[in-house]
Amino acid sequence: MLFSEVYSAYFNAVAAILCEAVNGELTDKRILAIINEKAFSESFLEIIPAIKNEEWLLINKNMKTPIKKPPQMPLTTLQKRWLKALLTDPRIALFAPDPTGLEEVEPLFTANDIICFDRYLDGDDFSDGNYIENFHIILQALTDKRKLKINYESPKGRRVNGTYNPWKLEYSGKDDKFRLLTNGGCFGATINLGRIKSCELLGEFDSAALRDVPRESSLTFELTDYRNALERVMLAFSDCRKETRRLDEKRYTVTLRYSLHDETEILIRILSFGQMIKVIAPQSFINLIKERIFKQQKLFRE
Amino acid sequence: MSYSELIKDFSRIRDYMREFFVYGFKSREEIDIKSARSYDNERRRIESWLSEYMSFHQDTNGKNVFISVDSRRVTHNPLYQAWKAKSFTKNDITLHFWLMDILSPDKTLSLTEILDTIDSEYISFFLKSEPIDESTIRKKLKEYVDLGLIAAEKRGKQLVYKLPADKLNLQSWKDATCFFAETDPLGVIGSFLQDKLKSLPEYYAFKHNYLLFAPDSGIVLDLLAAINVHKRVELEIIDNSHKVNKRRIILPLKIFISAQSGRQYVAGCNTRTKRFKFFRLDSVLKIKPLDRADDFESYIELLNGYRKHLWGVASGSDGHIEHLEMVLVIEAYERHIIGRLEREKRCGAVERIDDTRWRFSADVYDAQEMLPWLRTFTGRIESLSCTNKSVEERFWGDLAVLAELYGGDGDVV
Repeated sequence: MLFSEVYSAYFNAVAAILCEAVNGELTDKRILAIINEKAFSESFLEIIPAIKNEEWLLINKNMKTPIKKPPQMPLTTLQKRWLKALLTDPRIALFAPDPTGLEEVEPLFTANDIICFDRYLDGDDFSDGNYIENFHIILQALTDKRKLKINYESPKGRRVNGTYNPWKLEYSGKDDKFRLLTNGGCFGATINLGRIKSCELLGEFDSAALRDVPRESSLTFELTDYRNALERVMLAFSDCRKETRRLDEKRYTVTLRYSLHDETEILIRILSFGQMIKVIAPQSFINLIKERIFKQQKLFRE
Repeated sequence: MSYSELIKDFSRIRDYMREFFVYGFKSREEIDIKSARSYDNERRRIESWLSEYMSFHQDTNGKNVFISVDSRRVTHNPLYQAWKAKSFTKNDITLHFWLMDILSPDKTLSLTEILDTIDSEYISFFLKSEPIDESTIRKKLKEYVDLGLIAAEKRGKQLVYKLPADKLNLQSWKDATCFFAETDPLGVIGSFLQDKLKSLPEYYAFKHNYLLFAPDSGIVLDLLAAINVHKRVELEIIDNSHKVNKRRIILPLKIFISAQSGRQYVAGCNTRTKRFKFFRLDSVLKIKPLDRADDFESYIELLNGYRKHLWGVASGSDGHIEHLEMVLVIEAYERHIIGRLEREKRCGAVERIDDTRWRFSADVYDAQEMLPWLRTFTGRIESLSCTNKSVEERFWGDLAVLAELYGGDGDVV
């Protein structure tokens, strides 16, 4: 059963509260802090009275509890079966978890039960020994905040050597690729893990040097809803931050925010909707579309 | 009944999350709801769960609420929060912590021994407490045995209980859990596991991550359970265009997921007609397991063969094949376009005609389904032909409308 109170934010918050009560450290201030950390923004309105009024027989009015040991909950069968299912996924080799304890567990499903039918075909080779080794080194560097010396092949086929501060490990489900986003050194770079020939752990770096400076751009388009375009466009761009406003029964304006780095990809995604979408700002993006249309019309006439 | 941020039934909240997340322009009056109070309660719940991602704007239609998330910048899917909002009774929460405290992996206890311990060490701790009756505790023990939280075994004629011995080193799964919680269709279970772990890694990021699959996790779980035991199911689905519920019986075979839109489907077979059908999971309301199909593997083989001509999830009306060819002009400095063709084609072939012209050809059930992809090559298409002439007509017709939309020939850059 997926929807169960044993996984609920309330149970998690109360477990943490009881943990402090068992150690004799519980205060009103801590109760509120734990609820705000573990549960929802209005949860204190329900949890605090239930505890204070002894509706839940867990803590008395003197902040004492009959619970004797810090609360722990074994894994449910569902959780174990999900972990066992992960062992059927080729990407699990990248994380090398310890499968001990799952020997008698039936997987919840297998990777073969799921098909990503429009995933690109040139994804990373997750079974390649060198790839797995590099992945482990990168994870270590990210965990310990250590610099990496990386030797990789650029998209143009040149060998590049450099020292980088690893920042994020980004996975794209569409591309089926991992990319290492680096930051804070002399220059930042995005390196496809599939292009890395070797990497080496170096010393620690100052994590304060890591900064999230998004190079964001935005565009606004008008959407005409026919052939179910409204739903298709809204879903297709649901990975981006956006704001939609209705103009009339069939027309909407959508403002979409995206990384400047992905401009060509966004252009392609916009083109895939044809005349359902008309970009109305900025002019530079409109020009990109016009350029493609012009080239197409020229080809057609020839 | 007074408002609570917790919910008993997940189905209604699925619709609201979709409305706020996907659309975000509908006011209270426009959302298809039973009552204004119901809207206000659901909105308040979602605001409480997802406060930092909720936004509002006001226009002539009223106040519009929407969820705004850049999925590339969140490490954990915020929509999983809804799965952590199940309501419970005071006995549920009290007994949970008592039983987890009383039981251990090393010692078994009978129901009587558990009752005695509760009476002497837990209930007596509180001045105004009332006893919890035996049948409530018995039911809770059974529920927890079914969940796997408690192990039961026979001691003579009576059942005795203990906590299961857990040999699993969950810490070793920390990175795997963080990754698959965001990329697996049942990642919400990973999110439950993350709640048990301390100091989670924050260095993962996810691109092209469509968060809206989260509310459909319960449907995915039921379907995968049926696939696992080869059972046919009755789907109750909503036909949004006609606002009616329908029932369909299929043998579910695979879950199909679009990595480019986040849409999820179940691929199933009507075992009577032997025809394959795809149903979007966000339209599935309920799943009822039926009888077991003996020849499951033969249907899987059939589906594997069927997929060779499937572009997406549309199989056309009569299953016949349509042939499509597209010739692209690709200059020497644009060789990455050939790479695009090779990696983005889901079936078919790419061949070189001469130095600058390349042909893509495919045989599919429904070539209309390819139109969005074909349009992404606008600016390079020398010719397009299809045995289904309506595909050609629509492509060129749409392109003419698009050109007109941007000012026609006279207004090019």
